[in-house]
Amino acid sequence: MIKNRHNKIAVFIVLFFGLGLFFIGTDGFSAFTAEKARVNKLLNDKPKFPEVTLEDSTGRKYSISEFEDKYVFITFLYTSCTTVCPELEYNMKQVYDKVPSKYIGEDIVFLSISFDPERDDPATLNKYKDFFKSDGETWRMARINDKAELKSLLDSFGVIVIPDEYGNFAHNSAFYLVDKKGSLANVMDYKEIDEAAKTVVNILENGSEE
Amino acid sequence: MNQSFYGLLLLIFLVAPPVAHFMESHMVIHMHMQMPMLVIAGMLMARFFQKRFPTFFEKWNSNGIPGILLFVIIVVYWMLPRTMDEALTTNSVEVFKFISLPFLAGVSLRDSWKKLSSLGKNIIIIGFTVLFIGLGWLYIWSPVQLCNNYLIIEQVTLGWGFLLTAIGMIVYLGYNFFIDPSAYE
Repeated sequence: MIKNRHNKIAVFIVLFFGLGLFFIGTDGFSAFTAEKARVNKLLNDKPKFPEVTLEDSTGRKYSISEFEDKYVFITFLYTSCTTVCPELEYNMKQVYDKVPSKYIGEDIVFLSISFDPERDDPATLNKYKDFFKSDGETWRMARINDKAELKSLLDSFGVIVIPDEYGNFAHNSAFYLVDKKGSLANVMDYKEIDEAAKTVVNILENGSEE
Repeated sequence: MNQSFYGLLLLIFLVAPPVAHFMESHMVIHMHMQMPMLVIAGMLMARFFQKRFPTFFEKWNSNGIPGILLFVIIVVYWMLPRTMDEALTTNSVEVFKFISLPFLAGVSLRDSWKKLSSLGKNIIIIGFTVLFIGLGWLYIWSPVQLCNNYLIIEQVTLGWGFLLTAIGMIVYLGYNFFIDPSAYE
């Protein structure tokens, strides 16, 4: 009888421990994959876009302050990519088309950032941008030449890039929106084009998400 | 030299940075070799704890249920895609892996398994078989990359690893059900 009671107590302790473990391990049952946890954390932290030098498809060099007082809609890619990136950029184009033209260039700029600076020089980026009918002005494509700067940006925005054995990269993809002060305002699913466009237009109209 | 000592040696071997690094470089080795070997290290070391604290196990785990529950919780926890990722990127999670799998899962499995009725054993094996089929299906046919630190192809390999393990357990269950060992004595 006494043994039985001890067993019951032990079962409760174990279950309680397990519940706590899963609760902590998944941020209160909200994130079962690291990607979800990453996005949740980004939305909480709203990191600042670090000071890095971008070099765009026309060879211009500038930092994020170039886009002061504008929202910046960002994706990360490399042009030799044949899988996710074309889809990502094509979806980005659709968001670009859905945002009313009065905002484009005035209140919001689109920016595709390459994490493969060795291959993606301005000429390559220039060619690549034409596939997506990007004008190179309100939708720019740029690389970050400095390795340390590139790493600081990828780290602070939680972009994980793993080179594979065929000269390709595996990477996580999303739409990023940086606000007028250069802080990350939102991370959106790159497959939900309508939803992303709606969110962006909402923010542009109201100046905030609400 | 007793088995607890070999268990400790195995644990030290697995924790050694080059070994750990190699095993974690492939998703399927990470989950289907490193993690089970950590549990085995714990099972070997369980003898030491059973001899040292016999009353503790007798008192708190007399029917084996608390122990097997703890085993299931720890093992299922390490099957979350997220924990595998974080073991690679967060040191504290990696340390917790090397402690929880041998000492919480391994020790309690060894102490509990013999105490369970055959019904209890079958429930556990069937439960894991179903879980492994589910996870295999998830990892093979998931449209998204579940782990940031591994390539998709690794994810699919892991899925097949789960399905094969599940098939192995089904064969074992069938064998147990249809074959009567006493008929061969």
